[in-house]
Amino acid sequence: MTVMLLVYSLIDRKVIFQTDDVWNKRSNNERIIYEYTQYQKYGYLEFYNYATFLQQKYVGLYGDSYSKNPDFIKDMAAIQKPKTYLENESVQEFINSYESKGYNVVYLEPLTYTNGRVKPGGTGYLIATRERSVFLRLWDYLKGFITIETVKDVKDPGLTDRYIRIEKDPYSGFFALVGSGTTHKYLVYFDGHFPFMHWNWIHINLGVSYTKYRGQEITDVINQPTGDLDAKLVQYPALVGTDQWEESAVDFHKLTYNNGEVSEMDKELFNDKYTVVTYRRKGLSMLENSFVIGLIATIFAYLLGIPLGVLNARNKDKLGDKLGMWYIIFITSVPSLAYIFLFAAIGTTLFKLPYAFANAEVKILAYILPTISLTLPHMGSLMMWMRRYMIDQMNSDYVKFARAEGMSEGEIFSQHIARNAIIPIIHGIPANILACLVGAIITERVYAVPGVGNLLTNAINGHDNGIIVACTVFYTSLSIIALILGDLLMAKYDPRISFETKGGR
Amino acid sequence: MSAKEKNLFTFIDHDTIESEKIIAPRYSYWRSVFRVFFKKKSNWVLLGLFLLLILGAFIIPMFAPYDPNENVTRAQYFHKSPAEAIRTFGFSFKWLLGTGGFGNSISYGIWSSAKTSLLLAVICAAINMVVGTIMGAIWGYSKRFDQVMLVIYNIIANVPYILVITVLVYIIGSGFWSFVFALTVTGWLSIAYFFRTQVMIIRDREYSLASRCLGSPITRVISKNIMPFQTSVIVTILARELPSYISMEVFLSYIGVGLGAQVPSLGRMIQEAQTAFLIYPWEFWPPVAVAAAITIILYVLGQNLADATDPRTHM
Repeated sequence: MTVMLLVYSLIDRKVIFQTDDVWNKRSNNERIIYEYTQYQKYGYLEFYNYATFLQQKYVGLYGDSYSKNPDFIKDMAAIQKPKTYLENESVQEFINSYESKGYNVVYLEPLTYTNGRVKPGGTGYLIATRERSVFLRLWDYLKGFITIETVKDVKDPGLTDRYIRIEKDPYSGFFALVGSGTTHKYLVYFDGHFPFMHWNWIHINLGVSYTKYRGQEITDVINQPTGDLDAKLVQYPALVGTDQWEESAVDFHKLTYNNGEVSEMDKELFNDKYTVVTYRRKGLSMLENSFVIGLIATIFAYLLGIPLGVLNARNKDKLGDKLGMWYIIFITSVPSLAYIFLFAAIGTTLFKLPYAFANAEVKILAYILPTISLTLPHMGSLMMWMRRYMIDQMNSDYVKFARAEGMSEGEIFSQHIARNAIIPIIHGIPANILACLVGAIITERVYAVPGVGNLLTNAINGHDNGIIVACTVFYTSLSIIALILGDLLMAKYDPRISFETKGGR
Repeated sequence: MSAKEKNLFTFIDHDTIESEKIIAPRYSYWRSVFRVFFKKKSNWVLLGLFLLLILGAFIIPMFAPYDPNENVTRAQYFHKSPAEAIRTFGFSFKWLLGTGGFGNSISYGIWSSAKTSLLLAVICAAINMVVGTIMGAIWGYSKRFDQVMLVIYNIIANVPYILVITVLVYIIGSGFWSFVFALTVTGWLSIAYFFRTQVMIIRDREYSLASRCLGSPITRVISKNIMPFQTSVIVTILARELPSYISMEVFLSYIGVGLGAQVPSLGRMIQEAQTAFLIYPWEFWPPVAVAAAITIILYVLGQNLADATDPRTHM
């Protein structure tokens, strides 16, 4: 949250226009107006234009034909005359009404050449603005963070039948929570794809992208699948049960309500007004890319790191242990960038693996190098800790006692030392998954993986404050979840910890 | 005992002053530390390499000022491999490693950059260590302070460190001192937290309790009872922190929020060369190698020094 305050208050907000084509094309007053509209869009300020004010005023008086009214035309033209504009009644009304509400009224004089012709983008404007405080913006952000769809979401008065109920889902064969009046038709549904249970019901809004994905919601950006359309044989809702199948990539689980007119063709294909479709794609979304690489890397790191750490501890000070120690020193001290490039160089030249993600012909192969680059450092740190815990336990009294009792070394290792040493390792599992995701900031950039980590670095280069805030919130919430999960896991596997209060002091 | 036997012995009076003296060789803590440290042959080699690096980083730039823009207008000098560069310019130390993407000398560049990296690491480490240990000592000692600090720590430590620094540098802009600020503004907190735990362990030892019961003031308890125990802890943290600042600089420059265009740095050199690191390897690997060498040497030296500062190894 602090970061958000800093981002909102400290960054010069003009930087968001550096790569903006529209801003570059416009000039003079029009550019200023464009800046204000964008600022308003991203919540920096409230902004009212005199033209909108006039429009509202005259629609109230004359209805839809207001634009032909001579008074309206006269009032509109008034602000183009810098010497006399203050004499106009509507202008005075505009200034008075907004200044009394605490707005700052700005008059942009029309810019003309000496011969009286208006410069490009130089028409005069009269506007009222009011800055929004950082805390208000923060409040707005938090207020809109989670939205739950309700049956009142659709504003269409023609829709009378509003409900949320469990129905049989014709596309997966399971049951699904179906809504009418909600934005999405299928609120909760199951299918054969990871993570099997899908939610359209609850929507997390991370904010809006400023420059990179101009105005798109960031949650959509990171969830949007990439790649080619994935066409399958499907049936449209109205045709379910008939024998009319069609090759199409429409994802019927993601249907949303159509607020406009439904076309004649859609009326034959759909039973209701949920006709806005999205398409299935073959590629993974940004979030999925990051998670796939991060999860596989964590799994491999544990599968390799723990046995190696145990082996090192059992063969302490022998050649294998020394090699392991050198590996750990290399991985922990050398800048991660250096060895990631080393792996990249080895992988591309010796094994002919694809280097940049986008250029890969076989997509699966492109996952190999990033995963290895993430696995190896985590394996190193796991090895180090496992070895440390094992050696600590080996020197403790209860191990000496067990040995004196005549237990075999194998028994001592598997039943006593390993069981104690594994507890802190288990505590770290969620944090390690998180570390893989954060570590992916570097890896994803090196291999140009379209993932969340790369999104952050791209946003920094593109001055996209919206994405930076969103990524910060995303990673921070993940790390809090990881910590809580770690504590829960620890409580489950460590018999000494429990959340129930015990007797005694 | 006969009289003759009695004459064989002479009686010595009991001397109370003499009996208080300790005959064992004097134990000096720091002498023992260095004795243990230099007993290891590999430490001599590493220390030699480290001195060479320091001399290189601080003396070579004096005689060979690095100017990244000297050939920026002469496109024919861009991306020269070492062999080509020597053919073009004649054999000299300056062109030994070829030229970069703007005709800049790689071999001069890595030394100027190494200087920046080392300075950055030392300054950040100094600030973080001083603030971290002082705050950690108070934090570990005072229970009321502990409650407040734990809340602050939990809030800040939950955000991944890499993210905090990235966003901070982005917000306050690039440059050497803003970079130092970003690395130190929250960096001391984890050191202080680690230190707090160590102080707490010693604080509740019996001798420390006894000292307090006898009426030693807090400052004395901290400086005489607790701090001497922490030398090896401090050196261990230092060994971990110093290389991490260099890595952090490399990483941040790589993603484009580093020290800025004016300051030569290893991260910047890597960032400039990384797009074509397979085509122009001589531009990419030297700064990587220097960064790796500095961090490995610092890390291993620090670890060994930390081992030597532990009094248990002095036997």
